Amino acid sequence: MSALREAARFERRLGRLLIVVTWVAVVLLAIGTALLRLAGISPLAGGPPFDPAQLVADLVALEPAGFLWLGILVVIATPLSRVAGAAVGFTKRGEPLMAVISLAILGVIAISILAAQLTR
Amino acid sequence: MVVALGLLAGGAAAGLFGSLLGLGGGVLLVPLLTLVFGLDLRAAVGVSLISVIMTSSAAAGVYLERNVANLRLGMTLELFTAMGALVGGLVAFLIDEQLLALLFSGLLVYVAITMLRAREPAPDDVAGLPPEGDDLDRHVEPPRPDDLASFRSAALAHLSTETYAVRNLGRGVVGSTGAGVLSALLGIGGGIIKVPVMHVGMGVPLRVATATSNLMIGITAAASAVIYVLRDEVDPYTVGPVAIGVFVGASIGSRAAHRVELRVLNLLFVAVLLWTALQMLLKAVG
Repeated sequence: MSALREAARFERRLGRLLIVVTWVAVVLLAIGTALLRLAGISPLAGGPPFDPAQLVADLVALEPAGFLWLGILVVIATPLSRVAGAAVGFTKRGEPLMAVISLAILGVIAISILAAQLTR
Repeated sequence: MVVALGLLAGGAAAGLFGSLLGLGGGVLLVPLLTLVFGLDLRAAVGVSLISVIMTSSAAAGVYLERNVANLRLGMTLELFTAMGALVGGLVAFLIDEQLLALLFSGLLVYVAITMLRAREPAPDDVAGLPPEGDDLDRHVEPPRPDDLASFRSAALAHLSTETYAVRNLGRGVVGSTGAGVLSALLGIGGGIIKVPVMHVGMGVPLRVATATSNLMIGITAAASAVIYVLRDEVDPYTVGPVAIGVFVGASIGSRAAHRVELRVLNLLFVAVLLWTALQMLLKAVG
């Protein structure tokens, strides 16, 4: 029974992780949207493309794009954090097949990033 | 100001109706952004993908906390849905936008027909599932592979639980890959394909299939969202109000679902879907 309890606890932990990270994303997007409104910029005005080098500077300068891009990155990272957490959890629980599947999923995402940059 | 409120309200409506009717927001959001706000179809898909990840993550978190989703099955199929999304995300930039609009129109008709044919879940869909919080009896120790005749049946047994047996993994793999491709092309979560595949094709109870599909949607959309972001097809200014609207609408919808007369809403929604399909078709033919 302790293994079953542990499995249930593991899933609950992953669930909590998803909820917390989602709320972080919601807050970041809400701040970005509020700053957009304060700056009088229309949401259809066309925002800047993603530039990792500009992100910190935009955040420090309270630019809406900084918070919105960080929010978008956190949104995309949310399911990835769940898969990474699952990989660690499955490894700890001695489920190598599921751990490999988790890592393979992250591998596909890595290929997506690579493919997008190569075909840009 | 009016545009921001319009996007917020539109996102909220898409999230609310999507949640009430068991659909992701994408099916409504993409036509709304293209037909009402004049966004380019690919830009609308990019915005929709981000919104879909956010709402599905929140819902999947709750499902996992309550031990309703089948984590092993979801992660196994996720691998294929992510591969499909990778292919779809790349193909989306090679396809003519009018063809995308045509595909979307076809999807809307398919969803409308599916909703018209939808029945109430059979009693065995929910029978045997534990009440909320009573999670310990649902799981069963997976049989050891050496106890079973083949790797295939061992894999299925590994994905099954005490209350239901998963079957036809091949159907799940094909369905998930197809759902991933469509998700990336059209900015939808793909639950409209995954849920019937898991429920009808693989013997997973409807409630578990819905929860597991929600779990998978995040990765499905993330695999293609990174492509859209890196190819500058995601506008952060539009994402902000729309994603927040969808999140709020979906949150309200999930709490109000049991108080709403869904039959009438269903019929009304089918009419809206068909009208939208016609508009998308007109857009496709220029």
